Amino acid sequence: MSRSTPPIVGWLVVLAITIALGLFTGNERLLTLAIQTYTLAALATSWNILGGFAGQVSLGHAAFFGLGALLTRELWLGGRPLPLAILIALVVTAATAAVVGVPMLRFRGIYFSVGTLALGVAVFITAGNLRPGISSLPAEALRAYEFQGRYYTALGVVAVTVAISAWLRRSKTGLGMMAVREDEEAASATGVNSFAHKMAAFVISATLAALAGAVFGYFSVSYYPQFPFSVTWTFDAITVVFVGGVGTIIGPLVGAVFYVVGRDLLSSTFPEVQVIVFGVLFILVVLLLPGGFVEGGHRVFAALSRRGTAQPTGSRAEGERETMEGKESV
Amino acid sequence: MLKVENLGAGYGDLQVVWDVSFEVPAGALVAIIGSNGAGKTTTLRALMNLVPAMAGTIEFKGESIVGVPTHQIVERGLIMIPESRATFASLSVADNLALGAYTKRARRDRQTTLTDVYEIFPRLAERKSQLAGTLSGGERQMLAIGKALMARPEMLVLDEPSLGLAPIIVENTFDEIRAIRDRGVSVLMVEQHVEATLELVDYAYVLELGHVVIEGPSSDLMTDPRVREAYLSLQ
Amino acid sequence: MRQLIIQSAVSGLLVGGIYGIVALGLALSFGVLKVLNVAHGELVMLGGYAAFFLFTNMGLDPLLTIPLVFICVFALGTVLYSLLFKFVVRFDIETRIKNSLLISFGLVLILQAIAVFLFSGDDRTIVTEYSSKALVVTGWVRIPWARSAGLVVAVIAAFLLEWLLNRTTFGHAVRGTSEDWALASLTGINVRRVYMIAFAISAGLAGVAGSLVSLGYSVSPSIGLGWTLKALIVIVLAGLGSMRGIVLAGALLGLVEGLASVWLGSAYRGVVALVVFLVVLSFRPQGLFGRGGNHV
Repeated sequence: MSRSTPPIVGWLVVLAITIALGLFTGNERLLTLAIQTYTLAALATSWNILGGFAGQVSLGHAAFFGLGALLTRELWLGGRPLPLAILIALVVTAATAAVVGVPMLRFRGIYFSVGTLALGVAVFITAGNLRPGISSLPAEALRAYEFQGRYYTALGVVAVTVAISAWLRRSKTGLGMMAVREDEEAASATGVNSFAHKMAAFVISATLAALAGAVFGYFSVSYYPQFPFSVTWTFDAITVVFVGGVGTIIGPLVGAVFYVVGRDLLSSTFPEVQVIVFGVLFILVVLLLPGGFVEGGHRVFAALSRRGTAQPTGSRAEGERETMEGKESV
Repeated sequence: MLKVENLGAGYGDLQVVWDVSFEVPAGALVAIIGSNGAGKTTTLRALMNLVPAMAGTIEFKGESIVGVPTHQIVERGLIMIPESRATFASLSVADNLALGAYTKRARRDRQTTLTDVYEIFPRLAERKSQLAGTLSGGERQMLAIGKALMARPEMLVLDEPSLGLAPIIVENTFDEIRAIRDRGVSVLMVEQHVEATLELVDYAYVLELGHVVIEGPSSDLMTDPRVREAYLSLQ
Repeated sequence: MRQLIIQSAVSGLLVGGIYGIVALGLALSFGVLKVLNVAHGELVMLGGYAAFFLFTNMGLDPLLTIPLVFICVFALGTVLYSLLFKFVVRFDIETRIKNSLLISFGLVLILQAIAVFLFSGDDRTIVTEYSSKALVVTGWVRIPWARSAGLVVAVIAAFLLEWLLNRTTFGHAVRGTSEDWALASLTGINVRRVYMIAFAISAGLAGVAGSLVSLGYSVSPSIGLGWTLKALIVIVLAGLGSMRGIVLAGALLGLVEGLASVWLGSAYRGVVALVVFLVVLSFRPQGLFGRGGNHV
């Protein structure tokens, strides 16, 4: 069905490289950047499932990211083994999302977006009230801190998230989600249970966000528990998804790499400059290149391969068709 | 007054109107007739630049209006009444009429024009403060025409003025169109009601699948066998 | 206890006035242009800074500089429209709303960062000689002058806006454009210019709200999103259709928040508004005073 799926081989190569990276470099800065990239990539991919596949733009995504971070950290620091802590965090988040989703998903379009924004901010305020103090790793945990374990945890999480996202995209459920995205009325008319599909997207997306949050909670040495609930995480995820290519699989990944690397390169300048640069980039993408880097890549590729044959230059409609194709593949 | 040559227009990739040429002399009452999908509305929208003209020339009072913004075309005196949604439902009758005289040209004589319009359509005067959305179909048609007259048109373009109206109202509307022409306004109308239209107008063009296939004085067209067969027997 | 309740109610009502005026601006841009500008709160913030600097550097009273701040942010609004939102209006309504949401999203980040860069992250408040003075009623209820200004200005603005929209040709043109832009074009209305001016007016109103915020409360680069959310909540609460309804809803929201803070404490004040929002949206989506349809 897809026109140009990067073959499994490509994914395996990337996986091999990233695995090797963790084994052969001890550079803590590089590993930190990598872990940040994976966390953001996982969060962005999770948002993409709800926002890109199902077309429901959630502005409160950070609530689930924060919940995952909070629960994982507290359970883990409280003595439970990490995998169990993560599992509990995921289950609780999934249940919460299911409950919250029932009223939330009745809202359509911007009402859903604004409703989730309101929810996200409410949760942020509450988290700050309930846990005002900083959360720091206790002494023995600090001594036992090593990067490799965290690196592979993060890598594992993003790999799992991407795999689920890719599987979902090709599945019947995924198709149903995309039908809802295109036209909810029409989808319902053809027998697609739009509420069920939106709910599935909502819960899966929330759970994967919590998974990314778990990585954050495990990786961070000390932070304010309110921080992962902050709307900036939602902003970052959405920026990354759009800049990379909303609705695609590699879009969020490409976007995350670009974002973390770019931010690091700009870090010698004022932090505001970073934000301004990405803000402008985001706006340009929305206005000019809605499919993000993925669409840009497809257009460049198409233009290059067209140079060989004598064809009229693409009209606007052709460009739109390419955009559609760009969204279908990968 | 209006001269259109080799007009091409459409929506994005879909071209609907091909190589259409027609003319409306000053003071004339001209019709473009054809069935659904023939491209009549698209032609009018291209005239007013609601849809860009892909090819051809459009001259109003000797000046090209291709690419001129719609509101400027209106300012020059070319007024169009669209086929549906020709009035602002959320505004009152009086406000609709007032807004009709929005252009600088029309604003000067707004009060006198308003008096005239209320004379022609006393029913509108009765319903001055009523919201346009609550009017009946016939009343809304009256308001649409009244609003257009407020703009002091030199030429009036009507898109299917008979659409959705009861026959008696159609008759009244056509009488009013004739009266408008008699007052010196050139009129172009697009219609599906071929017989009644041909009895009204001086000259007509038949549009089929985006092409002008027949043209001539209405008296000729009424007796033209092609027209009789395609449009009058199916009436 | 009774004192606390009444004083909280009064304070809430006063801040509700500012909610009203922030919401008025957003209602104009959303109602007319069908564009969702979530950076509206950032315009409030910038207006607040403008008032602050006019006061600190030139000694001009913030209530007197309201017209000047309006003009400044109005001008900024025309720039933002011409550079960004102009491109969004050519889409159909659904795409338009979604894209304007996203674009203004980016704008939030940009404007906030610019503010941090220019003004630093500190809170700024305008302290005039009447800032600490209040009207004292029945011996102990304090109605601070500085904060009352918000409610007064909001009511005036609502009446002005209603007069503009209902009694002037321009206002009719705005309402007509928001209902049917094609028909508006055919009526000789320069739709692009109407959009731009309506957007700029909405920005100007945000700026005025900012003046009042820096007078009665404080401004810092990060306050934007909070105000935008409040404005959205007020709009949902009131429903589109009446400017007076919006100010009323703003005051009501402030009142409810104020009363709730007596029992929940001020830490959860913000949460109250959000819960109210979700409840109203669920059970009465057209708002308390909404008329539905194409009214602005």
